Amino acid sequence: MKIEGTHELRAPRERVWQALVDPSVLQRCIPGCERLERTGEDSYAATLRTGVGAIKGVFQGSVRLEDMSAPTHYRIVVDGKGQPGFLKGAGDLDLEERDGGTVVRYAGDVQVGGTLASVGQRMIQGAAKMMAAQFFTALEAEAQVEQGDPPPRHGFFRTALRAISGLLRQIFKRH
Amino acid sequence: MIPAQFDYAAPATLDEALSLLAERPDDAKILAGGHSLIPAMKLRLAQPALLIDIGRVKDLSYIREEGGQIRIGAMTTHYQLESSERLREICPLLPECAASIGDVQVRNKGTIGGSLAHADPAADWPAAIISLRAELVAVSSRGERVIAADDFFVDMLTTALRPDEVLREIRINAPGGRTGQAYMKVHHPASGFAVVGVAVSLTLGADGKCSAAGVGITGVATKAHRAAQVEGALVGSTPDEQTIASTASHAADGVDANGDIYASADYRRHLAVVYARRAIAAAVAKIK
Repeated sequence: MKIEGTHELRAPRERVWQALVDPSVLQRCIPGCERLERTGEDSYAATLRTGVGAIKGVFQGSVRLEDMSAPTHYRIVVDGKGQPGFLKGAGDLDLEERDGGTVVRYAGDVQVGGTLASVGQRMIQGAAKMMAAQFFTALEAEAQVEQGDPPPRHGFFRTALRAISGLLRQIFKRH
Repeated sequence: MIPAQFDYAAPATLDEALSLLAERPDDAKILAGGHSLIPAMKLRLAQPALLIDIGRVKDLSYIREEGGQIRIGAMTTHYQLESSERLREICPLLPECAASIGDVQVRNKGTIGGSLAHADPAADWPAAIISLRAELVAVSSRGERVIAADDFFVDMLTTALRPDEVLREIRINAPGGRTGQAYMKVHHPASGFAVVGVAVSLTLGADGKCSAAGVGITGVATKAHRAAQVEGALVGSTPDEQTIASTASHAADGVDANGDIYASADYRRHLAVVYARRAIAAAVAKIK
């Protein structure tokens, strides 16, 4: 399954890039990420307790960053499995500067299998979009923090608030 | 197909259910008809630690008329709504929508409140509830609040209900005057869910022009949406064949459609337009 999208972040590209390669930032931003440990150069082991609504699962997996070219591009390779199923995939992230902000484009191909795929196939794409939106909303908050300041907090309501204010910004921009 | 272990409580009153839920908002789930939650639990896609069965709570299953509104208890089954003679007279969209859900077994056990609170992106009720501009009454141990249909559906499987809240009642302003309603859907052949479903409630003024329109669409995106542009184009127009076709063409405007192996995002958008056209025409045809 193809997953792609674009998110506009109100933070300089340099800061977004730093956030995207910092495992402690990623752990805070990835919805339900309980553990992200470095296992080698640009390789990590992850535990995710995540889901949508009542549907939840725990996943164990590995994440590898490839083709690093700061501050514009990297490729992320994910391989994980859990009780509800498994997923495997790779995607490219591209960062572009625009009006002092950053446009992040992502495009990837993911294979999902197991129970999750056999009964939840119709929801996978929507769930992926929903989680991507949560991730980038949190990432934007991280990238806006000055270096040295404490990291922002990402409770459910904070993320929802940020998402709403982002939406409002988009609506006003169109007019 | 055996669920993970869980605790089970079947309180006799709503207050009792609410205080149980308030104690464990994060790992408890409310069990209504169980036609979404139980299958998910059997597949272990959902593993709540506590099920609070509100099936024994009295007075959650009713269809009443009060203060110009239709009031429906959250535990009212799809079948009760489908078979209500009174609803067929005053708000035929509800029985029509109910009749299109799943199969007989699902309709006999499944409830309108359970379906709404689960917020499946392909469920039928959200389309009807949005088109009718319903109000949803949520209750918790802290009190009660009313949520507009447009604010209720937040995202896929996510509603505005807080973890300690239970959906208690659905309120619908009874449509008056020369109103026609229709629900049209593409049934998924295996599950009966809506690949795309369009609910329309349309009122004509004395001059034959559309004075009010509600169009709710399910199945296209991560949550059901209001086709606001279609509604805007309908109001003030004379809904003839040509007008209906041109207004319906906006059914999926601005919607981030989802695809799966059965129907691509583009196909879903296309279906939304076609079924909006058919549902509006059917609603107009029913106006006497």
